[in-house]
Amino acid sequence: MPSRRDALRMAAAASAWSIVPVPALAGPAPRGEDVLSIDLPQLRYDGEWQPRSGAMRVLARELRLRTRLEPLAQPTSVTAESRELFDTPFLYVAGEAALPTFSRAGEANLRQFLDLGGLILFDAADGGTDGAFTESARELLGRIAPGSEITAVSRDHVLFRSFYLVDTPVGRTAAFDHMLGIHDEGRISALIMRNDLGGALEEGLDGRVVHPCAPGGAEQRQWAIRLGVNVLLYATCTDYKADRAHVETLLRARRWR
Amino acid sequence: MNERWSLAPGHVPSTLALIVLGLCGAVAVAEAAMAFARRSDRIDRRTAFAALGLRLLAIGAVFAVAFELTLRLDHITDPIQRVVVLVDRSASIAVPDATELGAKPETRQARIERVWSESAGPRSLWRDRGISIDVRGFDSVSEPITGEAAETLATTPVGTASDLTGAIATLLGDAQRPDDRVAAVIVLSDGLVGGLDSEAATTHLLDVAGKLGVPVTTVAVGAPALRDVAVADVRAGEFAFVENVTELETTIVAHGLEGTSAAVALLRNGERIAERKLRLRGDGVPNRIEFEVAPDRVGQFVYEIAVDEIAGEATLANNRRAFVVKVLRDKVRVLHVAGRPDWDVRALRTLLRRDPNVELLSYYILRDFDDIAREDTDALSLIPFPTEELFESELGSFDVVVLHNFDAVPHQVAQYIDNIAQFVDGGGALVLIGGDLGFSDGGYGTPAIARQLPIDVRRAPPLRHERVRPVLTEAGRRHPITAWLLAGDGRGWEPLPELDAWNPVGLTDRDDIGAITLLAHPDELDARGRPRPIVAVSEPGKGRVVTLATGSTWRLGFAPELALVDGARPYDLLWLGVVRWLLRDDTSGRLSLETDKPRYRAGESVKLVARTATAAYAPEPSVPVQWRIEPLAQDAKPTSSGSWTTDAQGRAEETVEALEIGAYRATAAREGDGGSEVTRVFIVEPPGRELARIDADSGTARMRRLAETTGGAFIEAVAGHILPDDVPVGEAAEDSRARVGARREIALWGGPMALVVLLFAFGGEWWLRRRVGVA
Repeated sequence: MPSRRDALRMAAAASAWSIVPVPALAGPAPRGEDVLSIDLPQLRYDGEWQPRSGAMRVLARELRLRTRLEPLAQPTSVTAESRELFDTPFLYVAGEAALPTFSRAGEANLRQFLDLGGLILFDAADGGTDGAFTESARELLGRIAPGSEITAVSRDHVLFRSFYLVDTPVGRTAAFDHMLGIHDEGRISALIMRNDLGGALEEGLDGRVVHPCAPGGAEQRQWAIRLGVNVLLYATCTDYKADRAHVETLLRARRWR
Repeated sequence: MNERWSLAPGHVPSTLALIVLGLCGAVAVAEAAMAFARRSDRIDRRTAFAALGLRLLAIGAVFAVAFELTLRLDHITDPIQRVVVLVDRSASIAVPDATELGAKPETRQARIERVWSESAGPRSLWRDRGISIDVRGFDSVSEPITGEAAETLATTPVGTASDLTGAIATLLGDAQRPDDRVAAVIVLSDGLVGGLDSEAATTHLLDVAGKLGVPVTTVAVGAPALRDVAVADVRAGEFAFVENVTELETTIVAHGLEGTSAAVALLRNGERIAERKLRLRGDGVPNRIEFEVAPDRVGQFVYEIAVDEIAGEATLANNRRAFVVKVLRDKVRVLHVAGRPDWDVRALRTLLRRDPNVELLSYYILRDFDDIAREDTDALSLIPFPTEELFESELGSFDVVVLHNFDAVPHQVAQYIDNIAQFVDGGGALVLIGGDLGFSDGGYGTPAIARQLPIDVRRAPPLRHERVRPVLTEAGRRHPITAWLLAGDGRGWEPLPELDAWNPVGLTDRDDIGAITLLAHPDELDARGRPRPIVAVSEPGKGRVVTLATGSTWRLGFAPELALVDGARPYDLLWLGVVRWLLRDDTSGRLSLETDKPRYRAGESVKLVARTATAAYAPEPSVPVQWRIEPLAQDAKPTSSGSWTTDAQGRAEETVEALEIGAYRATAAREGDGGSEVTRVFIVEPPGRELARIDADSGTARMRRLAETTGGAFIEAVAGHILPDDVPVGEAAEDSRARVGARREIALWGGPMALVVLLFAFGGEWWLRRRVGVA
């Protein structure tokens, strides 16, 4: 007689080949006022804090289009010193130059933000050409997450399969083949993206892409969007896709193809 | 009888003193001898002899004083032959049996008394031959029987074991003392000795008896015909896992009841939970029965196999057999299904994943039906939602199902909602978390599930984007899920973050599922004027349900200046309380009780340990706790009771002595805020299985073998035989033939006589020599 664990494994595996149960009569989930939305706040600081204006708005739109996440249509911005920093356990920090020195209260807030389980995504708009932003982000993390090590996020990390199967974390550029991160008790608490994710996302008022993606062009932009989606799915679901049932099903699906 | 004497020194001087004394004595003797040999002619021979005699007398007197010599006079008597009679006093001796079925039964004890009484003549003859009779009773220990009891052997045998081997081994110790050496042993018993009816036990008995080296005469007091059914054996593990099937096997042995129908029951903590009918087989043929049980909660339980009484049974004491099973929880299996990823899902998943005792299986709906199916579908890492497997074939494998802001209808789960209701009825735990999707589609409004929920969601409540700070209800102040809110500064939710949004639901109208609101909206009332529940619970069937009319409890774990409660995050305390309560965890209350062991041997002390905790599960000192111990039998009165006040670590303990054999329930209760009562069961059991097998046939054979092996006589009481006039005794040891009956000692050196002799000897010699002119 199979054990319950075996039975669960078989159940998960069997479901991989079944038709996705989408009932014809099923209506869409509630939208608008009735929806419990989430914010994708961006950090506001002295200096050019929004080098890729509207990048989070585009990511929010793509998330709504592609996933069941319901981000606010117009994500907000917060300062490090404000209480609103704790309204969402996710924070997007972008910059083209070095980050300024934050106030003592601001750094204390950011430290508590990480301690409570928040996730910060640092996005270097220089795309890997300058390095000043990345270096200042490292220094900031050294102060707000003392003792933590910033290391490369391995390609088999669940971050790269939290929604899409992503091979390389590209943005506007593809200068680096990996992201940096702080791994804290099995979760990533901070990510540093050096390929200008915001640059790949940014759109003008006419809806056209502002920055061309190089060297991959439109396809690279798609992969950048997918990466952005994955980051938010990782932020909300953590390592959900690392559950055994999911891993085994995905592996079987790949072999079948 | 004769007498012998000897001199015994009371003091031996030091070596130097001995040498000096010896030299002085030698010089004195030599000088006296020379004086005698060279005496002049004017000293006659008689005077010379007298002087020499007085000199030797003086020297002897000096030595008697110096060595403190004592004259010892022993009266020697003829040797005594000691015969030890070992009388079985175990419970099986009280069993009545007979020579044949239908004949009037007689207890084995009655046969012992009759044989002993009718053997008065032979016993008198033994005494005349110088044989002393030493009577001892044995069960789990061996003790002397004296006085009137030794004359009649009348007693009520209740011993919990029959350790004949141990009783004989005790006599081996006597063999070290020659005067107590045993010449023969007589055993009066049914032969059901040594615990299990095994060849190994018999071999060990014969080995020990052989070492004694004397004949063992045996009197078998059992009879061949018996009417009885007994629980001979039980095979069960000490541990079982909750909701897992565990097999318990028992062996029933009957005599004189072939073909009779018997009812064998399985009881848990005194409650009958299963029964099997059985047609009994022939004498001594094992009847094996299996019970399958799936414990529905963790804890320590006394299980008992009981055979209903059959008319005319020899004894009912062997119809029951209790044992303790500790039911543990395997990893808690949690199915977490979320309708939409959000921060609340993230917080709960993180908490559950962090707990090593939780095996978490998650399914989150990541895509909606109207989400764009892009050309990159192959890049998706998504898997189908295995609804049938989760909610039909495998649902029973979970301990807790969490439906987290999950809209059941669009995902074809609505058709399985009744399965979830059955799951709860059967003892499963369900958590229903609201939000924008959870209560939106009426999926939980079907009669089967609606009658289990503490809230009414038949009309889909909207999501209100209003900040809310819930308030504790009176029930919530005492409930393990929410009582922690009064720990710390006791201000409840006041210092905690507000919730983002909530669903305006009402408490169910049903009053048969124990639906109560623990946390309520501070202002809003439902249609019946009751505060709208934010957190509510119910206990339908064997299961438990918790509903949260909000999807933003994650705020309790992520906020600036988050007020910790006894050092813990409020979010952790809330969900720790939810999980513990759902799983009926013993530690979910603020009082726990443990025993140091689940089973005790008769005579062992039982230790109770109680712990009290604050609502936030921190140790709570100075709490008055009442405790009592009572037998598990219904309407039993407490055997021990008392009260404690917990110490600085919130701990109190008690050691209880001398509980009789049986199953017990220990109960501890705390009153006032956090009041609760907890119980623990345990058993006190005999050292052996005295009445597991009471058929005398094997015992009689063992008695015969013991007698034949050691050279003793075998006597069968049921045949009317008595002890022989000429009981076989062993060869007495050489050194035990002479026996000192009495002894008298005369101190030669003490008292005035020694001084008189000394003065007479020395003075007489001096006077005599002076008289003859040589002094």
